[in-house]
Amino acid sequence: MTEFLIGRGHDGPARVGVYRMGSTKVQTPFLVGSPNTESIIGYATLGRNDSPAGGPMILAVPSPIHDSKSFISGAREDDSILLPSFPAVSFLGPEAAELMLESQLRFINEIQGGVDPSRLIVRIPRQLTPEKLTSMLAKFSSLGVRAASVLLDGWLGPRDYSALSNRTVLPIDWLAIALGRISPSSVPFLFYLGFDVFDLGYANESASRGVRLWNLSEESITGEILPRTCSCTACAEHSDLRELDREKLHAVLRDHNLNIYQSVLSESIQSLRLGRLRWLVESMVHSSTAATSLLRKTNKSLFAFLEEFTPTSGRTNLSLIGPESYDSPTVKRFRDCLASRYTPSKRKKLVLLLPCSARKPYSESKSHKRFINAIDRAIGAARSSVAETILTSPLGVIPRELERLYPAAYYDIPVTGDWDTEETEIAADALVTHLQKFAKSAEVVAHVSGGYLDVVKRAEDRVSQRIVYTIDQHSPSSFDSLQSLQNVLKDMREIFSLKGGPPALFEDTLRATADYQFGPGAGEALVPDGAKLGGKLYRMVVCRVDKEQTCAFIGERGSLSLTLEGGRRLIPLQRYWVRFEGRKLEGGSIFAVGINEADSGIRPGDEVIVLNNQDELIAVGRSEMSGREMCDFKKGQAVSVRHKVT
Amino acid sequence: MSDIIERLEHILVDSTIKARGTSVAKRHRRNPTKPSAKWIAPARIGNEVGVALAVVLGTIGCSHARGDSGGCTMCSYLLDGDERSPTTDELLQQFDDAHSELANEAAPLSIKIYTSGSFFDTTEIPADVRTKILTQIAKDERIQEVVIESRPEYVTPELMRETRDILGSRGIELGIGLESSNDAVRSICINKGFNLSSFKDSVAIAREYDIGVRAYVLLKPPFLTERDALLDAIKTIEDAAKLGVSTISMNPINIQKYTLVERLWRKEQYSPPWLWTVLSVLRDAREKVGRSVNILCDPVAAGKARGAHNCGSCDESITSAIREFSIYQDISVFDSLDCDCMRRWHHVLNHEDISLLIHSRSRRS
Ligand code: SF4
Ligand SMILES: [Zn+2]
Ligand SMILES: [Zn+2]
Repeated sequence: MTEFLIGRGHDGPARVGVYRMGSTKVQTPFLVGSPNTESIIGYATLGRNDSPAGGPMILAVPSPIHDSKSFISGAREDDSILLPSFPAVSFLGPEAAELMLESQLRFINEIQGGVDPSRLIVRIPRQLTPEKLTSMLAKFSSLGVRAASVLLDGWLGPRDYSALSNRTVLPIDWLAIALGRISPSSVPFLFYLGFDVFDLGYANESASRGVRLWNLSEESITGEILPRTCSCTACAEHSDLRELDREKLHAVLRDHNLNIYQSVLSESIQSLRLGRLRWLVESMVHSSTAATSLLRKTNKSLFAFLEEFTPTSGRTNLSLIGPESYDSPTVKRFRDCLASRYTPSKRKKLVLLLPCSARKPYSESKSHKRFINAIDRAIGAARSSVAETILTSPLGVIPRELERLYPAAYYDIPVTGDWDTEETEIAADALVTHLQKFAKSAEVVAHVSGGYLDVVKRAEDRVSQRIVYTIDQHSPSSFDSLQSLQNVLKDMREIFSLKGGPPALFEDTLRATADYQFGPGAGEALVPDGAKLGGKLYRMVVCRVDKEQTCAFIGERGSLSLTLEGGRRLIPLQRYWVRFEGRKLEGGSIFAVGINEADSGIRPGDEVIVLNNQDELIAVGRSEMSGREMCDFKKGQAVSVRHKVT
Repeated sequence: MSDIIERLEHILVDSTIKARGTSVAKRHRRNPTKPSAKWIAPARIGNEVGVALAVVLGTIGCSHARGDSGGCTMCSYLLDGDERSPTTDELLQQFDDAHSELANEAAPLSIKIYTSGSFFDTTEIPADVRTKILTQIAKDERIQEVVIESRPEYVTPELMRETRDILGSRGIELGIGLESSNDAVRSICINKGFNLSSFKDSVAIAREYDIGVRAYVLLKPPFLTERDALLDAIKTIEDAAKLGVSTISMNPINIQKYTLVERLWRKEQYSPPWLWTVLSVLRDAREKVGRSVNILCDPVAAGKARGAHNCGSCDESITSAIREFSIYQDISVFDSLDCDCMRRWHHVLNHEDISLLIHSRSRRS
């Protein structure tokens, strides 16, 4: 019996787990290559190489031109088996590609009884539509197959893109194997996309060409140039590789190249654990223009897949280094959610546009302290009628109420004051959408300069409100600028006859956060009129309704924790629910095996409500996986329970 | 599985026809009185070394390639032909033109008649032309060996008897493109359009009239890995020898214009064989097959991107060793050959088999 178990932890579709080949447990992700050693799962072709020896291996059945069945007897009980297919056949079109899958199905039927289907690996051809591929794969699934391989040629062009997009339609609990030419710099990217196994062929191929691989580049040892210094176990004792004889050089290069793959893979795994995998991917794609284009294309075309598995919360700083970040799942999801879920409070009569600050949350930065000070001086308690809106790249706009939220409080960008066209465009679009949520009669005060000003100008034509500019050239936090801001706000107080009232920051913050987290309607459900709010925004604000707590705002992550009462109030919204197949919970965790239904909108890190099989709320907690995974996985922790009905 | 192979075959036929595109319709008008090609070269004739004339008669071209079956995936011989069938006189003039090349040569001579198709196909070579050419050869006492090419469907007892009767006691060899002894390879990789049993029948018929068969074996049809191709060629040579062929001519693919193979190659979905593969097939096959059967190989475009090639620096020495082997049938000519690129070839053999990645050599050197 061969089995793939996906472990805890997520960063995009990337995952860690265990591939059990008989009694051998192999941690995923792992590398495959030849020969079969302690550290590498070996692969070979049945009937062509020596008989398999050592630990379990992945064995390929030769081409269907043969009576392929006859080869199967060469595999041992624990070996996994790559099904037979033809190279290049998908070139002949979708019909031929479909035949390649059909012939593999036929093969499985022919060997039935002889081989446990959980050991088999489907080879996925190119050229099929996602729908077709999905329906074909369901047939393999029903036969008990749990693994697939796709082929990458390493050029990172359209063919490789289609391999990646094929990966995204695999059943989510299948082992995904990347075969072909995979350079070290592609490993984090492929891991990020949810591949679990990586072909080491390119390590060997490069060594055979006299090439030493590095994380981001390749070095030919045959040239005139002095080879780099390397202190890895393979190279350390050789000061100049050019002095080695051919045999020895080849051995050193092979070992070195393997070391590089191992190190880049372990870096990828660690990055996943730290929530920094996306950052690693973005950094490494700059090794080539092809890799960069491939990531951009992936961002756009495979966004839904990436987003589905990207956690909605995090503690680590998000370094958004370049244009590849603009549409990264976390960033784009924030913009999308803000656009679709945020509703400003009715009190807001004025929209004040402010620049972002390096320090997060913004209100704790020097510049924002000055802005707030100026607002207080100008209009005092009437501040509650001002929608403070921070412009930033690449998140677009951030309402003051949501400034502590992930990722708003957790991102870093290289601040130069210069915005590229794409950034300006993104922020302008976000601003237009944002301002549509305010009355036409609301006034927009733009206290911005430089790139921020360009954003406002760019949006102006599409905005129905009047925009007043407080400054043009000066820094917004300069004395003159602040003075001008105060003057404009004072005028506005007159014009709109703004009145003071009870401070509304807590209420605005908790409602906006609830809407952002659970969708429209959640703010009113959890923080109804008359709710009592107490605490500190930077620490915790507790919300009580009729003395009963519904939720608490946790300043550190800028999000709400539900109580059971809060959970009950959310039931009618029919979002973020998980149905537990049972009546009552035992223990502090819910495992995927106990879940057959869940809201497909759930992402890892979301606050969720748990219903029992009679639709009663039995717990609230934090999701550890996405909704689809909870339903499809047989193992693994699905929800960490925060409170449960006793 | 056979229905899947059949469906794949249909797709392949469509693809080969598509690959030919308009090339067939746009064939050049050529001088109908000159052969498409002719050349003479020293050759082993019986136990002596003599001179061989090869002539490619310009005909309307191979029926298999002309028709709806699309022709073979690697072949564009059709393009050597003419869009209109040459007249009887023109065909005879073509032969005369080539025959005159032998004017000053002394016995023993050998003559090979190619047609970019089948000599025994009367739509290419009308019956009267055929008998006239054979008769003309029969009159030339110096010619001791005749090689004629044909697809198996044209090999009938009547034609074999006729040929034997006209040519008398000369050595006669019939070249047939077996390509692979594996029916699946022949159909879905090559689109050859006949199966092993018709080849077997042809060999048997020919032997009745003491006509030998020269089996053409193709090295590396598309849709196979380098190792599949290597093993298939060795197996085919063995099988052909067992079937009683007299000679084996092993042909590594060269990429011809307007073929499916060319389209695959342009998209990096096909790579011509390594010369190491050629050498390895010859060496293995020579050891496995009885000495009475010669194994010949003259790789077209060897060392070039479109032919069997290695890294570039060893190609020449290997190619000349292969030619030498063809003459002396001695595998020790391969002994001293070595090059750094052999490791890469080993990698390709192993890795292509497992990954099914075509290790294209056109971009990364
Ligand atoms: S290889 Fe022979 S049979 Fe095939 S198309 Fe060419 S000439 Fe015709
Ligand atoms: Zn090293
Ligand atoms: Zn070489």
